[in-house]
Amino acid sequence: MAGQGFQRREILRIMSMAAVASHFPGFTTWCFAQAHPGSAGPQNIKPAKYTPLFFAAEEYPIVERLAEIIIPTDQTPGAREAGVAEFVDFMVAHDKDRKFPFRLGLGWLNAHSDHLFGKHFLQLTPEQQVSLLEPLAYKAKYRDGEEEGRQFFEKFKELTVMGFYSSEIGYKEIQNPALKFYAESPACPHTEDPEHKHLPAPKW
Amino acid sequence: MANQVYDVIVIGTGAGGGMAIKTLCEAGLKVCALNAGRRLNPEKDFRNHRMPWEMKFRGFGDPEKKAESVGFMDSEWVEGVWEHELTFTTAPGSVWFWPRCNAVGGKTNFWGRSSARFGDIDFRAASLDGVDVDWPLTYEEIAPYYSRTERMIGVSSSVQNRPSNPDGEYLPPFNFRCLDHILQKGAEKVGVPYLHDRISQLTENHEGYPQCHFCGACTTGCDTGSFFSTPWRFLPKAEATKNLELRTDALAKNVLVDENGKAKGVAYIDRKTKQDVEVYGKAVVVAASCIESTHIMLNSKSRQWPTGIANSSGQLGRNLCDHLYGESASGYLPQLLGQPPFPDGVGDNTIVWMPRWQNLKNPREEKFIRGYSVYPGGGCSEYPWYATQAEGFGSAYKREVKRRYPTPVSFTIQAPSLPQDTNFVDIDPIVKDVYGIPAVRIHFQWDENVLKMWEHSKQVCADVIRAAGGVYEDSGESPEIPGWSLHEVGTCRMGNDPKHFVTNRFGQTHDVSNLYVCDASVFLNPTDKTTTISIMAFTLRTCEHMIENFRTGVHKRA
Repeated sequence: MAGQGFQRREILRIMSMAAVASHFPGFTTWCFAQAHPGSAGPQNIKPAKYTPLFFAAEEYPIVERLAEIIIPTDQTPGAREAGVAEFVDFMVAHDKDRKFPFRLGLGWLNAHSDHLFGKHFLQLTPEQQVSLLEPLAYKAKYRDGEEEGRQFFEKFKELTVMGFYSSEIGYKEIQNPALKFYAESPACPHTEDPEHKHLPAPKW
Repeated sequence: MANQVYDVIVIGTGAGGGMAIKTLCEAGLKVCALNAGRRLNPEKDFRNHRMPWEMKFRGFGDPEKKAESVGFMDSEWVEGVWEHELTFTTAPGSVWFWPRCNAVGGKTNFWGRSSARFGDIDFRAASLDGVDVDWPLTYEEIAPYYSRTERMIGVSSSVQNRPSNPDGEYLPPFNFRCLDHILQKGAEKVGVPYLHDRISQLTENHEGYPQCHFCGACTTGCDTGSFFSTPWRFLPKAEATKNLELRTDALAKNVLVDENGKAKGVAYIDRKTKQDVEVYGKAVVVAASCIESTHIMLNSKSRQWPTGIANSSGQLGRNLCDHLYGESASGYLPQLLGQPPFPDGVGDNTIVWMPRWQNLKNPREEKFIRGYSVYPGGGCSEYPWYATQAEGFGSAYKREVKRRYPTPVSFTIQAPSLPQDTNFVDIDPIVKDVYGIPAVRIHFQWDENVLKMWEHSKQVCADVIRAAGGVYEDSGESPEIPGWSLHEVGTCRMGNDPKHFVTNRFGQTHDVSNLYVCDASVFLNPTDKTTTISIMAFTLRTCEHMIENFRTGVHKRA
């Protein structure tokens, strides 16, 4: 309706979020840690321990660790705070095309880790983990015989990135303008410098 | 009610059907409108500011349903409004992408909102370059209908003084974003225009509807009616007259004719009860979108019209044209690396356009005839799509995603195909849909001329990025699949000669005087502009012609 105010829409929004959360009792970090600012309800619900839908008990900690390495917690929150591992598990559980490659990929990672360091991936030091993953992620560091690993890493990173930047924490990380409404058509603040050659130093 | 005869039966409730329903009802005619799907509830069926983390699949959609999706608009945010049940076929060697919105209001619920007028450069193109035929009307004749449509729906833009894209009556334009100022400088250096698009999106309160709140989620439906759609703007006005009966889940099969071959009503299937129903009227408006209207007319076979109603010319279904879409160039603007994010996505990327600049002075100055337009876009989109491609991981990667957020730019071409003997629709001799209705079959391939435009645009757009100080990265390997633009036209072309055209200059079929066509199928070719506002302006003219025919007794009232 033309007269429908933001307040009413905000109420509908929060209601719909609560409805989604209640569909997925298993989710902890994903839904509940990301309640919209100002919504009273969901934040007060204590997260339970997450039970993976697809990954086995020994696989899921690797999923958590990989997500955390790809988008780490540094000056700002990362994949861990955004519950990305839960998203990865949820998406793989709902996608027959991803199930086998992900299971196979995690197996490859442990086997490769055994081969290089004589230990499973999670037993490695953080530096060793990064040194194993870098040749999978940077063209300049590619190594022969790791094609399967590179393919798995690409698929895993895709879901990690999707999960992170579609979370409220991800929105805040890049200061996503969609977090706000605008009273007027936003205008470029640098009209005296149309070529934008003299902007302030990069913020980050 | 079973025996009730209406003044007019309107098939379809989109841009054409919506305008027809409103215009006819306001003139006091009794109208029965048929719509193939359900009525939407904006509060329930649109995105309504839900954030991705409130969605089951974060707005990416159920992976298992991806194969049956009909495109980016068929998303998790708006479920159950795109047609998945009714089959169509393509001839060997042809491909066609055909998203059909069967909800009341059709594609106006989710459209791209770009609303430029056609001009004499389009209507008289054949006289200028000798290819095909002119339109049977002048800009001067249709201009007042554009003005009235613009006043009804509200279009934001600026006065640009280019006869090739005539100025209309506009609300203030959207403001340029940082990337627009930068790219405009580049376009200036290359010598191509970079201007405000004409957008049916309110920058001021208009006709009782609030101005846009710039949330940027337009293609998932507007919760405030701040851009034009039939359900928000036209249906309430039509319903207020009490002259409208809207039947939903009513899938039109064919137009019924009397013993003289005149239209007497429409046969449809009630999709809820699966029953065949007939509804009678003194005149019929077909406005089901270009291909579907043609499908219905081709399936309207009778003793008088053995090859489909109003098809004595044999032109019904011929001349199928489409807009070629594709990413002519993409890259990024290093000037903006690491700058604070700017709300670039608030207009859902229809803020600016590069209206046709080719073949204006001399119709044969390029290697192709006619011309194309380009829609530039980019900046901080709601989801950082480039992040998957960006190399690496870890803190450096996370920072790079943030630094690049304001910088991406891309250019989408909109280029008209030309009528070809080999591009047409007919009825599949074998395949029927689940209701037993013979399916429509599409024959289509891009023509040489439009592919030359595509190649041309890649060069120019890459040049604009570079001239703007940007980094050109990539162009689409091939254009999008035919049908992608949703701008198909031409299968019921209008013209003065009944031997060569399906409808006259008013969209009234030559053969059947009480049958009118109110959608893009009457257009001779796509031009470089979008179709929606022209569908509405032409429909307004068609309906006033029809109302005059009712007034003077050419058509009898029910």
